[in-house]
Amino acid sequence: MSASTADLPTSTPAATAASQYDAIVRSGYEHGFVTEIESDTLPPGLDEGVIRAISARKGEPAFMTDWRLAAYRKWLQMPTPAWASVHHPPIDYQAISYFSAPKKKDGPKSLDEVDPVLLETYRKLGIPIEEQKALAGVAVDAVFDSVSVATTFREKLAEVGVIFCSISEALQEHPELVRQYLGSVVPATDNYYAGLNSAVFTDGTFVYVPKHTRCPMELSTYFRINTANTGQFERTLIIAEEGSYVSYLEGCTAPQRDENQLHAAVVELIALEGAEIKYSTVQNWYPGDEHGRGGIYNFVTKRGDCRGARSKISWTQVETGSAITWKYPSCILRGDDSVGEFYSVAVTKGRQQADTGTKMIHLGKNTRSTIVSKGISAQHGQQSYRGLVRIAAKAEGARNHTQCDSLLIGDKCAANTFPYIEVKNPTAKMEHEATTSKISDDQLFYCRSRGLAEEDAVSMIVNGFCKEVFNELPMEFAVEAQKLLSISLEGAVG
Amino acid sequence: MTPGKGAQGQGSPAALFQDWLPAAGRSTGQSLPWLAAQRVQARARVRELGVPSPKSEGWRYSSLSPLLEQGFRAVGEASGEAGSALDPGALQTLLIPELRSHRVVLVNGRFDAALSALGTLPRGVRIGGLRDSLARDPDALEGLLTSVAGDGSHVFTAINTASLDDGVVLLMERGALLEEPLEVIHVALPASADARGHELAPPVAHPRLLFSLGDGAQAEIIERYVGPGGGPSCTNAVVEIALGRGALLRHRRIQDEHADGFHLSGVYLSQGADSRYEGINIGLGGRWARTDLVMRFTGEHAECDLRGLYLAGDRQLLDYHLDVHHGLPHCASRENFKGILFGKGRAVFDGLVYVAPDAQKTDAAMSNRNLILSPNAEVDTKPQLEIYADDVKCSHGTTVGQIEPEMLFYLRSRGISAGLARRMLCLGFAGEIIDGLGPAALREHVTEQVGARLEQAPL
Repeated sequence: MSASTADLPTSTPAATAASQYDAIVRSGYEHGFVTEIESDTLPPGLDEGVIRAISARKGEPAFMTDWRLAAYRKWLQMPTPAWASVHHPPIDYQAISYFSAPKKKDGPKSLDEVDPVLLETYRKLGIPIEEQKALAGVAVDAVFDSVSVATTFREKLAEVGVIFCSISEALQEHPELVRQYLGSVVPATDNYYAGLNSAVFTDGTFVYVPKHTRCPMELSTYFRINTANTGQFERTLIIAEEGSYVSYLEGCTAPQRDENQLHAAVVELIALEGAEIKYSTVQNWYPGDEHGRGGIYNFVTKRGDCRGARSKISWTQVETGSAITWKYPSCILRGDDSVGEFYSVAVTKGRQQADTGTKMIHLGKNTRSTIVSKGISAQHGQQSYRGLVRIAAKAEGARNHTQCDSLLIGDKCAANTFPYIEVKNPTAKMEHEATTSKISDDQLFYCRSRGLAEEDAVSMIVNGFCKEVFNELPMEFAVEAQKLLSISLEGAVG
Repeated sequence: MTPGKGAQGQGSPAALFQDWLPAAGRSTGQSLPWLAAQRVQARARVRELGVPSPKSEGWRYSSLSPLLEQGFRAVGEASGEAGSALDPGALQTLLIPELRSHRVVLVNGRFDAALSALGTLPRGVRIGGLRDSLARDPDALEGLLTSVAGDGSHVFTAINTASLDDGVVLLMERGALLEEPLEVIHVALPASADARGHELAPPVAHPRLLFSLGDGAQAEIIERYVGPGGGPSCTNAVVEIALGRGALLRHRRIQDEHADGFHLSGVYLSQGADSRYEGINIGLGGRWARTDLVMRFTGEHAECDLRGLYLAGDRQLLDYHLDVHHGLPHCASRENFKGILFGKGRAVFDGLVYVAPDAQKTDAAMSNRNLILSPNAEVDTKPQLEIYADDVKCSHGTTVGQIEPEMLFYLRSRGISAGLARRMLCLGFAGEIIDGLGPAALREHVTEQVGARLEQAPL
């Protein structure tokens, strides 16, 4: 800074601004409301009987019941994982109700039959179910608690042969596909929460894109957690056949609660030869109050398998919610010349904790992966990037570039980086870079000297910091993501 | 180990570690209560920790089984009589002729006065064997010895403390200056037959080194780990370093054990305000080597510069663990490690930079770059940052790759053979680290060793 500016009372406006921003930071959770509708809920508790009951209620084929029970028996023998940099009281799995279906009148056949209270909830959330037919390009399979109640654009998708339905429906209508692929990327024995999910998952999304088909619209599901004490165990399975393309959007908000809600989803993606799957997430679940009470525990297993040559799987995530986020969207690059991508923006503030990252397992020749992870930590937020890049002995010419940057706002937060890099092939090219810094005074001063308010300057800098990731998001999500960021962050900087 | 778990059985992990420890009550300084207490505590810790599980984070990539299979026994226990002899002629082959230094020779961890050549020491500098120092002036060591390493980062440090018996001590008073470097040569000898001609178990030595530099003191220390070979040997060294305010230490560590050498070393550093530590770790030899560098700042504005180079070829595992803890504001650290891997060589780099909540204005940069030259080599690298303060500048970078074909082509087009071109490129890559080595005689020696290793390498 030059001498002429040294006299400016730079600290005072910053201090006032800080208190204003504090108010914004402490602002309540925008989407906190509870819709009271009757739920068909199983009593809390978990044993083989509960699993059989879930399976029976959903009218599943016998192989599915056996699969669930096998997963449950394996799960019982697994230890609770303790390696992540997150802290929470032990979870009582017997206190969770494992099934909650919105009460239906013989099942809705069209939107008119859907409970109007539900539709009202969607309206509040901004999911334009009624305007959907007019809304170009987005089909929404809205999941309200655990059972899909509204699915649209099915016919339009069916014309090109794309199957887009809830996984329960898929089990009824396409059991052979589910049986072939379910658990083939994330086996029930993969990890503790995947095991639990395999035993008790109640619903989720199923997508099947046939050969040489480009899915004509972005597919989207809004998850919504509603009934108190109901764990959500979603199961998503996306299969992209040879030469096909699909883009899938996932976004979520949840009402305010006092008790922690466990969310242990499993997402499996399968890309066959030349197929491409783009999976985008905006996650804004209830993060808990300023003391960290309440809030969602988000323990998710997401993995994509690039099975065929020249296939591509791309994960993009914007994680601003949840008390604890624990997820590592991964790619197994099995096919030669396959490509894996991971773009992530994670924000932790208040008492939020996030342990997130990715795994890129290079098995095929000339496989490429890109990892861009941007972490922003404010207040007491705790954040870790944990990633693995493994280049197997046979992965000739594999290429990886990893960049993890952390932005720290305030002196009580934390940002950790735990990259694991295992290279067994000399032709591999692997680069990893990580930086940690705060918004520099120089950058702020530069913007402010050009007449930008501090708030706008910070917003600009943070958006610039995250730009690489936002560029990967589909249009609709990019807007939402920027809005989420501005709510979460602008206020936290002083 | 707790009884009733088959721990008494021969070959059980606990029994293996019992052999690593000398019989209680036979070590130096039994009359010193503070030291005795440390030994007892360390013994308890060995029992408590046991053999690290292959699943534990710190041993994830380096299997202990090759080490444990050897059936090492503590020196003195194994050979009945301490100090397998090294004749002065054999020592000559292990020396660097042009290197002028205050020389200390440890043979299997024992200070060998006859082979050492301390020369004239400047005022305020004391160098000696640990055993002698404990016998002559134990008070000078109280509060220093074992206090820097503490419990240590793993069981092998506890084993060293429990076995603490001999080693080297350097004590420098305020403002003292050591002009010629202190050279510590660790010679690892394999097992010899006993009087009746029975083959003895291979020995493990536990040398303990203590370097204490008073305020403003300056020194250069060269540690070399060597051995004539001829059978397995193991060195489990612990180095404790305490730097006073404004002290400066240049520390060069050359691990050049023989092909059957097993090597464990833990370097524990405590840095006072305004002090500077420059450490260069060269890993060339050994079959299985693990080095832990544990850095702590006890005053502000201290700087720590850690550099390393490792060459891992066939049948070799070289493992480096860095633990740099920024607990105070305004300190800076640099970590720059480079590796060259060939044959079936394996290397592990696990570096952690931790910045505590109040350590504002910390400046830390970690870098680990690796060249893999053959299809069967493997490198596992894990550079980690844990940051709990916001006004910091921290970064890390890692790369793994091979020699660029364009560079090779450039050299070959100028009539240089492929093998020589590769060696030139590797030496260029290693140069960044080697060039930092002083004195010139040491630098040339290491450059030669690296060149020779590369020449043997199947490039």
